[in-house]
Amino acid sequence: MADSDFLAGLKALQAAGVEFIVVGGLAAVLNGAPVQTYDLDVVHARNDENIAKLVCALESLDAIYRMQPARRLRPNASHLSSAGHHNLIASCGPLDVLGAIGTGLSYEDLLPHTTEMEIGSGARVRVLNLAKIITLKEELAGEKDLAVLPLLRRTLKEKERAAENPNCV
Amino acid sequence: MPEEDLPPQPEYSEDGVDLSLIRWMLSLTPAERLVFLQRQINAILKIRRLNGG
Repeated sequence: MADSDFLAGLKALQAAGVEFIVVGGLAAVLNGAPVQTYDLDVVHARNDENIAKLVCALESLDAIYRMQPARRLRPNASHLSSAGHHNLIASCGPLDVLGAIGTGLSYEDLLPHTTEMEIGSGARVRVLNLAKIITLKEELAGEKDLAVLPLLRRTLKEKERAAENPNCV
Repeated sequence: MPEEDLPPQPEYSEDGVDLSLIRWMLSLTPAERLVFLQRQINAILKIRRLNGG
């Protein structure tokens, strides 16, 4: 089984020039929430140029669909142009490439709710803000989403408190 | 024991969230948070493998 290597996955996407937003559990962690996650979730821009770059990046990561891995089915441009979710396994571990999330929110819809973050080795990525992650989880309201909400809400409160009192973190 | 010698008491929110853990995470940079998560996952996967999981 491929171990998770978030930085390698993110750097491969970035090196290929893919426009994407980190969402899900990793976005929560990067925003400071003490949660755990094993997969890398990204929402990509679904224009032709970006999808071509994404296909190259996913090839470099040897990404195949996690379901029925024996078929070694690779995501192609046609698959990735949909709003669907592509649950892949790659050399960097589980990688979920999402055309849209929540109530059909695309890359462009999410972009105003993101922050660019330095994540190490000079890599910078766009990350969904904690407030938007919370809104999405409230809308989804699945058991897994509801379970993590108190932690996310409290992290957001603490972030806001720290921003108001920068010497008290 | 004088009060100043006592260790600080843990601080939880009313819904049971460990605030010291959140504050510690917030004291890290995003890059440091990523390293921390990666180390945790690597450790968990190693333990799972050692136990045949």
